[in-house]
Amino acid sequence: MNPLQALFCKDRQVFLNLRRLAREQSRFKILFVLAFGLGLLAGLWGLFYSGFHSLSAMGGIGVLIIRHLFALFYFGLGLMLILSNIITAYTTLYRSEEIPFLLLRPVSHGEIILHKLAETALISSWAFFCIIIPFIGAFAMHERLSFWFILWTLLLSAPFVVLCSELGMLITLLAVRWIPRFRPMLWAGAFLLAAAVWAYIQFRPVIRLESNDISFLLSRLVPGIRLTSFPFWPSWWVAEGILSLARDQWVRGLLFCGVLTANVLVVGLALKHIGQACFFTGWLKTQTSPRRDRSRHGLLDRFERRFSFLAPDCRALIFKDLRLLVRDPVQWTQGFLFFGLLGLYFFNLRNLHYDLLSPVWLNLIAFLNMFSLSAIMCSFCSRFVYPQLSLEGQGFWLLGLSPMSMGRVLAIKFALALIIMLVISLMLMAVSAAMLKVAWSVQLTGLMIAAATSAALCGLATGLGAVFLNLKQRNPMAIVSGFGGTLNLALSLGYMIAAILPFGLLYHAFTMDQLSEQALRRGWILAALWLLVITAVTTITPLAAGRKSLLAREY
Amino acid sequence: MIELEHVSKSFGPVEAVKDLSLSILRGELFCFLGPNGAGKTTTIKLLCGLLRPTSGQIRLAGLDLQRRLAATRPLIGYIPDSPFLYERLTPSEFFAFIGDLYRIPRDRVLAERESAFRLFGLNDYAHCLIKDLSHGFRQRVIYAVTFLHEPKVLFVDEPFVGLDPFSIRLIRDLLRRKAREGMTIFFTTHILALAEHLADRIGIIADGRLVALGTLNELKTQSSVQGQLEDIFLFLTQPDPPVFQ
Repeated sequence: MNPLQALFCKDRQVFLNLRRLAREQSRFKILFVLAFGLGLLAGLWGLFYSGFHSLSAMGGIGVLIIRHLFALFYFGLGLMLILSNIITAYTTLYRSEEIPFLLLRPVSHGEIILHKLAETALISSWAFFCIIIPFIGAFAMHERLSFWFILWTLLLSAPFVVLCSELGMLITLLAVRWIPRFRPMLWAGAFLLAAAVWAYIQFRPVIRLESNDISFLLSRLVPGIRLTSFPFWPSWWVAEGILSLARDQWVRGLLFCGVLTANVLVVGLALKHIGQACFFTGWLKTQTSPRRDRSRHGLLDRFERRFSFLAPDCRALIFKDLRLLVRDPVQWTQGFLFFGLLGLYFFNLRNLHYDLLSPVWLNLIAFLNMFSLSAIMCSFCSRFVYPQLSLEGQGFWLLGLSPMSMGRVLAIKFALALIIMLVISLMLMAVSAAMLKVAWSVQLTGLMIAAATSAALCGLATGLGAVFLNLKQRNPMAIVSGFGGTLNLALSLGYMIAAILPFGLLYHAFTMDQLSEQALRRGWILAALWLLVITAVTTITPLAAGRKSLLAREY
Repeated sequence: MIELEHVSKSFGPVEAVKDLSLSILRGELFCFLGPNGAGKTTTIKLLCGLLRPTSGQIRLAGLDLQRRLAATRPLIGYIPDSPFLYERLTPSEFFAFIGDLYRIPRDRVLAERESAFRLFGLNDYAHCLIKDLSHGFRQRVIYAVTFLHEPKVLFVDEPFVGLDPFSIRLIRDLLRRKAREGMTIFFTTHILALAEHLADRIGIIADGRLVALGTLNELKTQSSVQGQLEDIFLFLTQPDPPVFQ
């Protein structure tokens, strides 16, 4: 057995042992995850099916859009897969404790790269398949294709996933190896890159198209279609392969499958050799970072001095948490990604011409944006706010022995989370409303919901985090995946639906002319009262329970 | 077996190891002492090839570590102070995995596992997940698997941390027996009484520089301190220590 086979055998064994670990998990958690997963799949399936139905109802142009939609869909997912693989590959190659262990064994660097490629592809692709399966299922149902078609398309998607993983890992390897660590050089490189992007946008050649050019017309209807229909994109090969198989063009379909597989093998070979040549040097570079002199006053120190009006214990706890966050890039980059992608989408709403849609659609998109922002806030609070008390870990006795009361500790943690969440959510909600140019009352509703959701989710996560305190675990993911973490996520999602749905239904009925303005006003006041009540209950009850639990606790 | 010639290692402006020259013979139990942050773990990582020296040369069993890194892998065993273990494997599965990595025949792995697990008292825990084991038993697991491929050189960083007296005795006797059989052992510890008892030779490093090297008696002569190792260590590692050749 060669070392690579041994590594895969070990992975298989770890996978088999997961059954044993599954038995240790709470039943509520397993049922919740299953129900949530199935609900999500069914929801996506319904959404895609009605989308295909609406497009084919449009006639010729709709059918053409469906054809190009596959390429657009795979292109977007491919970009997200590459991005996700870059992050995962960095963690698994340069931050994993397994790497020094493997480097000391008779395993070549190329073999380590291939093993980690499989790991990153698996970690980063489950979400891809969660989106692809309902999409393909809806298409197959709409076109009345056989069940086997779904299997074939999944087969075609697998090499695409591997190719994206290979590209992501390749970018990571080269970036770690070649990006200079000398800060001025890094800034100079970033500046040059930004300048090049700006120059391209300013001076790119303008392609004049005839007005009867079909792809030009399509691109006016669905932005991005021209770019994604370029025949050298792997996403286009997958899309064309799937559509060929759908039309029983087996030879053409298998040709695209073959092209994809050949590319996977070639890039995989290149990856193995590049990994063999430059992985270890890059790894050494990441292990030998010079110790940073923190004696100079940084931004946080200057910031802290401005908060001298706060009580010293309160200020100390807040800035300790902020420093720990800032000095752990893995944590804050995850947080940044949570909201960064959503911000990018909100800022591009005008480029997508959503502001020109009819009031019904505009209203629908505004409320869908509220849902998406709140859903990300739920994930963020579950991932970062819920485990913050548990992450005090075995040093919790420091707080326990200090003159600060546990109630005060809890209040400070809640306040810090709330301030951060309020700043982010209000900013994003304001951007979404401004870009869509919705009515002022919808803007106000959005901001009100964002503020209430921030308070409720932070209260819930901080309170439940104190009730289900886990000081033995140092891994935040393990803390989050316990019973308390799952309960927090379930309640957060429930609150989100209860908070937004009444307003959403009211405005939808109003834009559909099913509700008068006066009825809308009355309904709005009732919905606002409802929001106030559920927010107060969701914020105060868990915080009170958390305080009680902390006071009764022995350390 | 281990040779270092004028080895230095810098992390940016900080020089962690300064001009270290050292030669350790086959079958020698060498103890490397030093205060916290003196450069002990950096030296071990340099010797394992997990760090590259900024200058100087390292040879293991006559092989240049930088040029023949892959060839030195089967010769080395390394036990860090907090070793990496696959939490979701059982000790038995972990043992088999290491056997496969080193391409050791399965029947030999089985035989070795039986004797190693008996020696380290792991039989009752052979099929528990490693994540459920206490620190002491995890240390026993890492010792059991490290000897499987019969390394010629063993590096151990703090071998006795968190172990009960029974385990300390077990590991101390094992290290001594392995050295007698020809294994070169390079270890660091802060338990000076154990170092005094166990090591053939002792090296003391302070602020990245080797300040003393020799047997206990040679250290006494070099430092002119007639006492226990602790007295010599404290004298040599005080700020601005005297350097002896």
